[in-house]
Amino acid sequence: MTKIINSNEELIDIDDEAQNANQQIGYAWEEEYKRSWDVLQEDEDGGLKHTVEHLQSRKRKRLERDTSIIKRGIIRHMFLIIDLSEAMLEKDLRPSRLDLTLSYAEQFILEFFDQNPISQLGVIVSKSGVAEKLMGLTGNPMDNINVLKKKNIDTDGEPSLQNALEMARSSLIHVPAHGSREILIIMGSLTSCDPGDINETIDNLVSENIRVSIVGLAAEVQICKLMCKKTKGTYGVVLNEAHFKDLLFEIIPPPPVSIVKSKSELVVMGFPRGVNESMPSLCAWYDYACIYRNAVKGISNL
Amino acid sequence: MVDLKKAIDAGGHCLLEMPSGTGKTVSLLSLIVAIQANYKEKRKLIYCSRTVPEIEKALAELRNLIEYRTKCGEKDEYLGIGLTSRKNLCINSSVNQEKWGKVVDARCRNLTASWIREKSKLYPPGEVPLCNFYEKMENDNERQRMLIPDGVYTLEELREYGKEQGHCPYYMARRTIPFANAVIYSYHYLLDPKVAELVSKELSKDCIVVFDEAHNIDNVCIESLSIDITKPNLDASAKSIAKLRDVIEDIKKKDSQRLRDEYDKLVEGLMAASQERDEDVYLSNPILPEDLSHEAVPGNIRQAEHFVAFLRRFVEYLKTRMRAQQVVAESPMSFLQNCREVTLIERQPLSQRLTSLVRTLELSDLNDYYALHKVAAFATLVATYEAGFMLILEPFENDTIPNPIFHYACLDASIAIKPIFRRFKTVVITSGTLSPLDMYPKILNFQAAVQESYSMTLTRNCFLPLVVTRGSDQVAISSKFEVRNDPAVVRNFGQILVEFSKIVPDGIVAFFPSYLYMESIVAMWNDMGILNEAWKHKLIFVETPDAAETSLALENYRKACDNGRGAILLSVARGKVSEGIDFDHNYGRAVIMFGVPYQYTESRILKARLEFLRENYRIRESDFLTFDAMRHAAQCVGRVLRGKTDYGLMIFSDKRFARADKRNKLPRWLNQFITDACTNLSTDMALVTAKKFLRTMAQPFERDQLGVWSVEDVERQERSNVGVGGRAAQFN
Repeated sequence: MTKIINSNEELIDIDDEAQNANQQIGYAWEEEYKRSWDVLQEDEDGGLKHTVEHLQSRKRKRLERDTSIIKRGIIRHMFLIIDLSEAMLEKDLRPSRLDLTLSYAEQFILEFFDQNPISQLGVIVSKSGVAEKLMGLTGNPMDNINVLKKKNIDTDGEPSLQNALEMARSSLIHVPAHGSREILIIMGSLTSCDPGDINETIDNLVSENIRVSIVGLAAEVQICKLMCKKTKGTYGVVLNEAHFKDLLFEIIPPPPVSIVKSKSELVVMGFPRGVNESMPSLCAWYDYACIYRNAVKGISNL
Repeated sequence: MVDLKKAIDAGGHCLLEMPSGTGKTVSLLSLIVAIQANYKEKRKLIYCSRTVPEIEKALAELRNLIEYRTKCGEKDEYLGIGLTSRKNLCINSSVNQEKWGKVVDARCRNLTASWIREKSKLYPPGEVPLCNFYEKMENDNERQRMLIPDGVYTLEELREYGKEQGHCPYYMARRTIPFANAVIYSYHYLLDPKVAELVSKELSKDCIVVFDEAHNIDNVCIESLSIDITKPNLDASAKSIAKLRDVIEDIKKKDSQRLRDEYDKLVEGLMAASQERDEDVYLSNPILPEDLSHEAVPGNIRQAEHFVAFLRRFVEYLKTRMRAQQVVAESPMSFLQNCREVTLIERQPLSQRLTSLVRTLELSDLNDYYALHKVAAFATLVATYEAGFMLILEPFENDTIPNPIFHYACLDASIAIKPIFRRFKTVVITSGTLSPLDMYPKILNFQAAVQESYSMTLTRNCFLPLVVTRGSDQVAISSKFEVRNDPAVVRNFGQILVEFSKIVPDGIVAFFPSYLYMESIVAMWNDMGILNEAWKHKLIFVETPDAAETSLALENYRKACDNGRGAILLSVARGKVSEGIDFDHNYGRAVIMFGVPYQYTESRILKARLEFLRENYRIRESDFLTFDAMRHAAQCVGRVLRGKTDYGLMIFSDKRFARADKRNKLPRWLNQFITDACTNLSTDMALVTAKKFLRTMAQPFERDQLGVWSVEDVERQERSNVGVGGRAAQFN
């Protein structure tokens, strides 16, 4: 089911852009001009086959990649860190880096819970050198989306990678070992204002099996590259709006499980069981007899 | 490679320009090693590089190559060795803690000089300090022919080996040079006549000499023959003359026999020397051209006390000259004339006489006599050369502070390098930036059999040169003298810095034409608030003339680039940073050249040199200045690109860079990427292009190498032009 949705989205991307263009704040002449016909280049015979194939190949790549058989962890604990520095006000992505990021983040959250229904997600933002947790780990997509509504968000100063990572780490450290621990950073700034040595933080992340993936909006930053490489995450820098979405949505399919963790083969799942007891018994929480006791217990296991 | 082979076969000299980071060193080495292995007569490779790290790198490359050859079944006994100063090689813990190279040299001599060792035999052990490593080596040496086993040793390994065997690595390396197949050391060992005499004397004629990173070779030549003498130098030498006299008096009382011996030896030695020179097997010393060295040491300085008196007179003479209030520039001839009139001193070679005297007197503490040596060398040089030199006396520093300096400036770069071209059959000069190629044969006065500039084959356009000619307010920017302090220009320069600090990740290196200009511009930026603006995005570091401060700034700069804070390094186009230090990958994502790095044209030495070049080699002043400026600019921007996976922006911000005559002087590999579209940009246009470039470059890089030939390709090439590519086939 999800796969079908994916491919549909690929096709209606153009509509998305048209929609974005409507929200546009700046004037048209403020932007870098774009010649959409440049994308189409004829080959020697004057045909467009090659170009069209190229455009389609991206989609195919994604589908092809999904065919290989690897074990994926489906219980994920992820923090989405959004950079709210001044650099996010740049308008090189339309309508602006910030607006685009927020709208994609919303789509991302929905899609994430759609494909990873029993995972949890939290949101952290970082501005003027501090990190702020907008929402702790939760299984409800709407909680996350609501905190990202535009009115709550303003930008200031520089981000602090280290603070944000430490905050995410302190929350992720307690999650059970059977789920994956992940951090996704959307980073518009090229600098980070850190209180200490970020390399120590990276080493801690590595030792705690936290995977850090970063989507950069401007250019390649060495420390990000290093961090993603060490923690086995992915690092991508966006070329344009559509590429931004691609990079972001690449994170959504569950990652392969690392061998170290896979010792817990099976996870105990609880479902309500109807047990008929011969006589009424006392419930631990309420003062009255409760015949649903076992059923409630089952749910709480979940 | 083919060109190099041609040159070596033809026995001529060759000039090659190859872009940095494309395996220049290894391709040179592999070809030469192959030639060495395949020809009967063993030709030695002498590979000269500029700095110690570069020597290390070349040695490591050589070792990889030899390992590769062994793996491919080639059996060859190969000995490659590197040589550097005592300071870098010494393993004697009491000596190598000294910071200054000169002190290390002096202390080493104190421990190893022959007379000290003689002396120690007379006294009980422990009385006279000696260097254990040197002693052990000498002892082993007497017992069996000491040789380092075959292999290639980097400097560090040499030290390790020395420690293991208890031998002194420095002397070990020096003694091994005659036996080694490849020697890698600094230019100075070959070019500087004072040092070359010690180290490079026994090199045979058919050696292949390679000068790597040789874009500054003319300056090295000139420096090696130029001497500056200051007031403190003279004072110090006067003092040491007095000391010398005391010692002589002392010795005269005690044993006049030794002085006698010395005198005899001197006369004998001179005879021997002239015989040797007749045979012409040695590198003829450029300090002493034929006519002078045939002359015996004149009678009036043979006697030690006479010689000392002579020196004293000379120093006094220089002192009186220094009292002059106005700038004097004169040719060596007129200086000598004047000198003779005033002090009755004839032109004579002085420094050798001094060395021999010092040896006889067993003065081990050479450090004290350093200044005197300098004066003696000065006198010798003045006496030796007539053409191509200029004496300049500058009584004031910056026209105000009295600090008299005697410059004895060499104007002709070809003098120092002439013996090398004459002696060795093949000299290869190579660097990343040699354009325009016809300039070097002219100023170094040689004929090149092959000169070639190579372009680069790249999988992706990994650097983007941008010529920014005006600011966003359309005011033309330039570091021209008339407009360089114009607030509009300064503001536009600042704008470029701020804007690029916003969009470029990690490190930015900015180059200014001079320290003076950098200081004034940074002060103006501070007033305009531009620095505060840039501060928000990146930390700012500044290069200063002080080496220690600069290396500290560099260290912190690297740290800031590593931890994601980002940094800007403001430095100077002719400074230390622009020459030896690489800003690869994140340490330099962009280089900004503020202005064209012309030399300071008011300098009298430069003026004299320009005049000389015009008169003797018919090079116009402006041509030479532009050539010099552009080669430094190319050198600066070349710092960011060290290898194929690297990428970087190169921003030339001066309207003069847009002119075709300037651009033509840039190396070919750089020029091929300067498109017309990006030669005349304003700041904001450059920003848009740069942004796009950085995004594209950040995409994952599939490593499919272009320009790698398989064996079949080589064979095909060989068939098409038989015989030329033959040698190349082995290594591709």
